[in-house]
Amino acid sequence: MFSVPKNPIYKSVSRRKFLELGGGVATTLGASSLAVGLNSVINRTPVMAQSSDDAKWKQYAGSRLVFMSENTPPSFAIRDNLETFYDLTGIEVEILTDDLPVVQQKVGIDLRGGSADFQLNYVQDKPIGSPFADYYEDLLKYTRDDTLPLDPEGYDEDIWFENFLKACGVYYEPGRIVAFPYDCAVACTFYRQDLFEKLSKDFEVEYGYPMEFTIDTTWKNVYDFAAFFKKMREAGHKDIPYGYAQHQGSFAWTLQLDIQRMLFAHGQWTEFDIDDKLGSKTPGPTNWGDEQSVLIMEKYKEQAEVSHPDNLANGTLELNTVYQAGEIAMQVQYHEFAASIEDPNTSKAADGKTAYAPCPKGAKEWIATGLDPVNGCNCGIGGIGINAAASEDLKRAAFLFASWATSKGTQLDVLKKLGGTPTRKSVLEVPEVKKAEQRPTTMPNALTFHAVYDVGIRDPNFVLGPKIPEANEYHNIVLTEVQRCVTGETSPEEACEEIRWQVDDMNGI
Amino acid sequence: MIETPPRPARSLGEAVGETIGFTQEGARYLKYEAGSLNPEGSRRYYFYLMLPAIFVLACITIYPFFWLIYMSLHSVDIGGAGDMWNDFRNWTRLTRDRKFQDGWLRLAHYSVLCILFEVGIGVLLAVILNNSRFEKVLVTIFLMPMMVAPIVAGLVWYYLYNSTFGWYHWLLQSAGILGETSILGDRGTAMWGIVIVDIWQWTPLIALITLAGLKRVPRDQLEANMVDGAGAFKNFFQVTLPNLYPFLLIAILLRFMDNFRFIDAILVLTGGGPANSTKILPLYLFDISFQFFKLGRGAAIALTLLIMTIVLGLILVRVFESPAGKVNQNEEGR
Amino acid sequence: MASRDIVQYRSPGRRLLSILTVVFLAAYLVWTILPLFIMFVSSFKDLLAAFQLPEVGDWLSIGVFFDFKPTAKHYVDLFVDNNFGTYLVNSIVAAGGSAVVSVVLGSMAAYALSRIEFRGKKDLFFWIISTRMAPVVAVMVPLYAIFRGVGLVGTLPGLILAYTTFNLPFAIWMLKGFFDNVPYAIEEAAMCDGCTRFQAFRAILPLVAPGVGAFLVLCVLFAWNDFLFASIIGSGGAKTLPPATRELVQPQNIQWGKIMAAGVVTTIPMMFLGLLIRRYLVAGLTMGAVRE
Repeated sequence: MFSVPKNPIYKSVSRRKFLELGGGVATTLGASSLAVGLNSVINRTPVMAQSSDDAKWKQYAGSRLVFMSENTPPSFAIRDNLETFYDLTGIEVEILTDDLPVVQQKVGIDLRGGSADFQLNYVQDKPIGSPFADYYEDLLKYTRDDTLPLDPEGYDEDIWFENFLKACGVYYEPGRIVAFPYDCAVACTFYRQDLFEKLSKDFEVEYGYPMEFTIDTTWKNVYDFAAFFKKMREAGHKDIPYGYAQHQGSFAWTLQLDIQRMLFAHGQWTEFDIDDKLGSKTPGPTNWGDEQSVLIMEKYKEQAEVSHPDNLANGTLELNTVYQAGEIAMQVQYHEFAASIEDPNTSKAADGKTAYAPCPKGAKEWIATGLDPVNGCNCGIGGIGINAAASEDLKRAAFLFASWATSKGTQLDVLKKLGGTPTRKSVLEVPEVKKAEQRPTTMPNALTFHAVYDVGIRDPNFVLGPKIPEANEYHNIVLTEVQRCVTGETSPEEACEEIRWQVDDMNGI
Repeated sequence: MIETPPRPARSLGEAVGETIGFTQEGARYLKYEAGSLNPEGSRRYYFYLMLPAIFVLACITIYPFFWLIYMSLHSVDIGGAGDMWNDFRNWTRLTRDRKFQDGWLRLAHYSVLCILFEVGIGVLLAVILNNSRFEKVLVTIFLMPMMVAPIVAGLVWYYLYNSTFGWYHWLLQSAGILGETSILGDRGTAMWGIVIVDIWQWTPLIALITLAGLKRVPRDQLEANMVDGAGAFKNFFQVTLPNLYPFLLIAILLRFMDNFRFIDAILVLTGGGPANSTKILPLYLFDISFQFFKLGRGAAIALTLLIMTIVLGLILVRVFESPAGKVNQNEEGR
Repeated sequence: MASRDIVQYRSPGRRLLSILTVVFLAAYLVWTILPLFIMFVSSFKDLLAAFQLPEVGDWLSIGVFFDFKPTAKHYVDLFVDNNFGTYLVNSIVAAGGSAVVSVVLGSMAAYALSRIEFRGKKDLFFWIISTRMAPVVAVMVPLYAIFRGVGLVGTLPGLILAYTTFNLPFAIWMLKGFFDNVPYAIEEAAMCDGCTRFQAFRAILPLVAPGVGAFLVLCVLFAWNDFLFASIIGSGGAKTLPPATRELVQPQNIQWGKIMAAGVVTTIPMMFLGLLIRRYLVAGLTMGAVRE
């Protein structure tokens, strides 16, 4: 009834008009989903290498694509921006958003079933990329196809931020790129500068050094800060929040990242002896259970003891809420959350009270291996990938969208609108963005850009892994055993040993 | 062929009809009469009527069931290679899968806790309501939680339990029952957290069922017992409770099966944590199939869950059919 | 009614007992209503107002709960920014559609089952009812594959069919009890007047209409409150209220005001329907095992 017209309507009627005319009515009747379903449509006008860019963009006008994405701010922003893409290409894109676990499951069944309901997928590095990498199309061949309107900046590794393309796009073997970086969430430290300044003197009296956050602040310092805040709070200062809280709750992936940051900070410890950025399908025996991992597990447990009392119930989202409510003074959080912290309507930590710093460094005395400490930092890089099972034309049309959605112009738009998280270096060079890195700012996420893009994601601070096909099960094992340890059911040694046994069992070792 | 039973038929459906209080005699008599008019024609006609429903049900149950069996015998991993026969490894793995065994134990623990409290409170509530002047109004109000979507109930209680801004947490804390740790943030109390939500939603159901049972406790039995000199409490335990037994059994079985079916609320409340302390089996299955994509292992676990459901279902049907299950027919004495 | 006047006789502790009874009822009333009341009130609070709590143990400041400027913006946001209008319509179509399909197919099957005997009828009946009891998680993977195979994932017809998996067995089971109660003589008389068999079937429908209506509403209720099917089979294309509400738990912000508002929107219609069929509720929720 309200299916997409074969005739590209953009020529005569603007997209907005079209929505008002037909789409609007369909939506109000709720009939849109009845009639449309998940069907993609392909409609092609052949072009040649020497055709105009406009013709290349419009070669699939009248087509329809489906993009399955996580419910992240960039996806919402891009959904609001689809009109621009429609005007540019005449392709209609439906963006479906869901929780990450649901996305994983639907994408998984779709990819494996080989029928490509979703031509475009959100390729979150470990949760989706690692298990399904083989089912995505190699994008390299399209980046060399001159019948497609290629991005003027290109798609090479060095136009993205360091490590980004490898993180979400390259799996298990070099030379194949399955996704372009689309959005990212990089860990950095959020802390209450107002409180730090107010209490620094008192802290120094007790601990012999000032309470301030710098690039050399270690995890041991974080422990001291947290212990100090907690002591103040428990001494009856109800206006002083707790110091710190971990990423716990039931979101396994972010808990794994939480302890991984600390492990990596101390001598670049990793779970497996594999190339961290490439990953491996046969990772071999795990390093869990060695001296370093037991030591950090012990420290992680101690850190939990000085954290917010409801530490275990707080997953990543709740943790941010606790910080927003002014209940903790520090959190290591993903930089995309800055926008919600800086919004005075939702946050008590807004109005310049929060400052941002890189992730804490490893403490020398906590390193058993004798290696150097780093500011261990990790992330979730969401890529946009194309289902290899789709038809060649659909894949080319999908490439147009992937290219547009990761282009400089789109990323800048998203950043301005909803607090996006750019992945292209050139976005940061825009004077407007540069200016926004200092207060007062119109793009709160930009306040974190120094900590994130200049320190966190650069080697040697950056850690990603383990990129293994069983990544999700691995995260879950870590979650369960870390929580059992933190609650005192097992000792750090037992917890590490338990993880080792289960992980090796999972990998058939 | 239409069977002409030597005695009045006792089909399952009739048993249900009886239990809900329909008088069957007239209908049954006429039915066999009718059958003899034109047995073949009528039989075909009735089967045609049945066909669409049976067809739809077959498509969505039989096919998936065999598919589950197939998957449980193969390595089926989304993202892995094709399906491979794996010598019952999915099944043997269950024997050393501690989370699977814990899942069953937690499911049992969770169900028993829920049912214990629901029955306790529900029966008390029903007895009180039965003697209350405001029965109609109160019952109507008490029904409300059952109408709430489980996912909404989960979210609302999650909000209430929150240690930063949850009013229930504040109440519990102010009353000195809880410290600053929220009920969901502690391994020891998280199970109670999810049990309380279930109690809130489903105690009214038990109360309603009990109430229906109370109305049918035979008056002559109560009177006879009183003549024997029994007091109110004695009377309750000697007459009322035995009469309620079939009602409670049905209520308990239904709640058991619902605990197998619905994980919505737990999914948002704890997601199975902390430290897996609320990871009941259906949630673990959800992880295995939908997060780790081990569809083969998931299918084996799913089958154990299905089998248990069928066993419970069979017991339920037995209860429907047993003399005690004829909860409406209370002429016969104790 | 039978036992009411009998248990009310004199005993020494009767006065105390009646006081305890009233206290218990009052407590249970508060316990039942409070979460719903907080949901309702919180849906009119701004996020920061929703964070307001008195100090621990400060019982006198409990009034802080009402200390806020009510705002309807969450409701407006839901319908303007979050497409809740569409989701509401989807919910109505999916739940209503499945109820109608289930009751139509179900009454045909139930009628037939009620009128004939055949070998294996008992097993057939158990199979029908067991499909209703199967844990959704257990059968979701194959079901999803089937639905996707026929292109129904993410569509309202798909969701209607998915809900039929549990509503149809329910309808057959319940309605058979109703048809059993209708004497065959009525159809017979109709057929003697020259009606066809099907017309005869139609002739007895008015007799079972109240029951059919009540179970139609119950089917709507079951389908409306479903989350798992809606989020997986419904996918993004046919989003209903429960998954849409769940989705408000967003990465950057758990939008409590909106979630509570969405909860109210989801709950109110069902409470209304629940009251409407109050008389059949117990029968419906116990699969007909118990009738008030």
